[in-house]
Amino acid sequence: MQRNLGPLKTVALALFISVFAASCGGDDESQSVTIYSGRTENLIGPILEEFIAETGIEVVVKYGQSADLALQLREEGDRTPADVFLSQSPGAVDFLDADGRLATLPDDVLDLVPAAVRDDNGHWVGFSGRQRVLVYNKDLVDAADLPASVFDLTDDKWAGQLGIAPANGSFQDFVTAMRAIAGDADTSGWLSDLTANDVQSYPNNNSIVAAVGRGEIQVGLVNHYYNFRFQAEDPDHPGVNHQFGIDDPGNILIVTAAALIEGSENTEAAEELITWLLGESAQRFFADETFEYPLAPGIEPAGAVPPASFAAVGGLNYGDLGDELATTRQLITEAGLDG
Amino acid sequence: MTGQPAPLVTHKRLDLYSVALGVVFALPGIFVVVRAAQLSGDIGETLSESVGPLGRTILLASSVAATAAVLGTALAWMVTRTDLPAARTWKIVLVLPLVLPSFVGAAAFLASLAPGGLLHGLLGLIGIDSPRARGFWPSWALLTMFTYPYVLLPVSARLETLRPTLEESARLLGSSAGHTFRRVTLPQLRSSILASSLLVFLYAVSEFGAVQLLGYDTLTRVIFATRLADRGTSFTSATLLVVLALIVVAAERRARGGDRVDDRARSRSTQLVHLGTKTPMALAFVGSVAFFGFVGPIVSLIIWATRGVLDNRINFAALVGPAVNTAYTGVVTSVLAVIMVLPLAVLLVRHRSRTGKAASIAVVGGFAVPGLVIAISLVFWTLNTPLLSRLYQTWPVLILAYVIHFGSQALGAAEGSVRAVPTTLRESSQLLEPSLLRRILRVDFPLMRSGLASGGGLVLLSTLKELPATLLLAPIGFSTLATEIWGSYEDGFYAEVGVSALFLVALSTLLTWLLVLRRAT
Repeated sequence: MQRNLGPLKTVALALFISVFAASCGGDDESQSVTIYSGRTENLIGPILEEFIAETGIEVVVKYGQSADLALQLREEGDRTPADVFLSQSPGAVDFLDADGRLATLPDDVLDLVPAAVRDDNGHWVGFSGRQRVLVYNKDLVDAADLPASVFDLTDDKWAGQLGIAPANGSFQDFVTAMRAIAGDADTSGWLSDLTANDVQSYPNNNSIVAAVGRGEIQVGLVNHYYNFRFQAEDPDHPGVNHQFGIDDPGNILIVTAAALIEGSENTEAAEELITWLLGESAQRFFADETFEYPLAPGIEPAGAVPPASFAAVGGLNYGDLGDELATTRQLITEAGLDG
Repeated sequence: MTGQPAPLVTHKRLDLYSVALGVVFALPGIFVVVRAAQLSGDIGETLSESVGPLGRTILLASSVAATAAVLGTALAWMVTRTDLPAARTWKIVLVLPLVLPSFVGAAAFLASLAPGGLLHGLLGLIGIDSPRARGFWPSWALLTMFTYPYVLLPVSARLETLRPTLEESARLLGSSAGHTFRRVTLPQLRSSILASSLLVFLYAVSEFGAVQLLGYDTLTRVIFATRLADRGTSFTSATLLVVLALIVVAAERRARGGDRVDDRARSRSTQLVHLGTKTPMALAFVGSVAFFGFVGPIVSLIIWATRGVLDNRINFAALVGPAVNTAYTGVVTSVLAVIMVLPLAVLLVRHRSRTGKAASIAVVGGFAVPGLVIAISLVFWTLNTPLLSRLYQTWPVLILAYVIHFGSQALGAAEGSVRAVPTTLRESSQLLEPSLLRRILRVDFPLMRSGLASGGGLVLLSTLKELPATLLLAPIGFSTLATEIWGSYEDGFYAEVGVSALFLVALSTLLTWLLVLRRAT
């Protein structure tokens, strides 16, 4: 009996060793990245699937609003499970940066995009852009009557007809940009004139485009993305995007940003992921599927999206957006808006 | 009495338990106050800046509480005490405005007022342009439509356990139905109505999505708008909200005053009030409430969903997992919440303890804190509590967060159900049945059931649609129907919003019917 069992034992042992070795090997090779994503699954899920298939790196994602996730990351401090933070606006990344929660990205990642759309200290990198535009209802407004500058929106003809989202991150980033371009005094004056002109407040871009669509207001200041989405949902949607003049602060590009969390134990995989977001496949996805502006040089936006040059950014330093947020908010509330 | 074991449930033990419960429920409020102090938010400055929003919060919350109380009570009476046709169906349909997350309910309601929407079309038929839904009045109307079920459910449950003989005597003596209701029924409903309109008040105080969509500027807007740029102001504003809630809850506790155990158990079914020629009027009333609160928004959701279904871009299978997560999480939370607040309810009703009163103020007051703030506070508490920190972003902590947020909704109903057990009945059952467990099952529970079910039902419906805590505290990768709705809504994928929201409506309807209303009818 003993002798009969011998070979079996050997086989069992060999099996055991090989399984053990395989699992050890697996541990060495199978990396994983945890993402806190302010971008919703619709706008990034397919790219992450592709990344997983391509690299074999495991990816787990917590979705939420950029600002809420930033607050959560700040409360979590060094106990956070997150390796990467993806934000829909630079304000939320800078909020974390100010608290020292972001690690420095290597130069070869940072260099994938123009210097204008990444942090000066290398703490975050932009991976797609959304342009600020004026969305209007084509049944209610004649395109010839549309203003050439965002400053013209204080005109009487827009009284009670303009929607803004003063509490929203991208509106606040836009106001910060306006301050950098036009100065605090003019920005302040413009905001007060909006209040005097009975500007209507909404919680976010989405609800402004919906309100323009149903004719509640004629025009609204939003990111260009949403109207494309509404048209895709409903071909009868009467909203159309309007770009201001070429150097107008109303035209700036709001970047979505990727950052590496300080203290992450998966930096290698995390950097690989961020590099992937700036690679051709992901950049094409942001251009064609989500109607955004790709930021890596050489990739063009989708045909339906009007071209925007980085010159329109007007030498704005995105790294300042977060630091300046408090002052911006102060100007917004002092003007009597619900910011 | 030698040899008799000491009673398991003593006043002292209940007191101790209630203190612990009160502390747990007070955690978000404590966090808010501590953070406000740390960030040295200037309360004077915040107050002077926020006087407008604070005033609007109080105005909106009181008006909504008042109208929801009237509407909820009237509807409760009609579906439980009259021969309204199809009362059982109305009972469930009328609860449904509660099932949608407020941001999606409000967006769907606005869409129904827009060209192509149901209400717009109907108003057009009678030659009326849709009104511009901005400011106080639309916010008031919409929140009333979304919150009256907070009153409807507990008050219906109370009406069902109320002894009808007084009402019947009044009717026999020639008192009209309306007069009987005002003079005989209403006084007995007083504490239920007060407790539930308090919930409505606190809900309106904490509400952000819908009110912001309608452009009415309240204190929650300050909290949200400053949460990154100026955390001192954000937490100080939240502190103002907590203080406001505590004052109002304490005042309500005082106002409720002498409300005693109902010493006459319900012995037989009620004689229904015959509506007769008033039936069409009653149906029109009930129908229009259901129409504005539920049918209008639902039709918008169907329109959104249809576009996606026709394009064949909806992945129905992907919603099964989230629907299952939503269902069991909701059911577990509601059962647990009822069990957790029940001892406090016993203490409040049978022992009239000061400790219990203080604990109940903490339990109820927390409901005024916006969901996001509760979620952030529990991130803090979980990570900074030894042992508990290992459970961060696990399912048990998520359930705990839900219970803390919504447990208050079960307390009022639990008190009502404890009141429904007459002291005399309990005393005689103690003599006849020595086993506490068997006594509870055979004597107390049957009388408490409809009250407990209504409280659990409110917790259930709130949990099914909860968003901020789910996003922040759920295990990574755990999604519910509410997170699916939010994810699609956030970036304008309306077809998906429509489909997942209809899934949520169907699931809520099913669970409410199975667990809350089926036994009671």
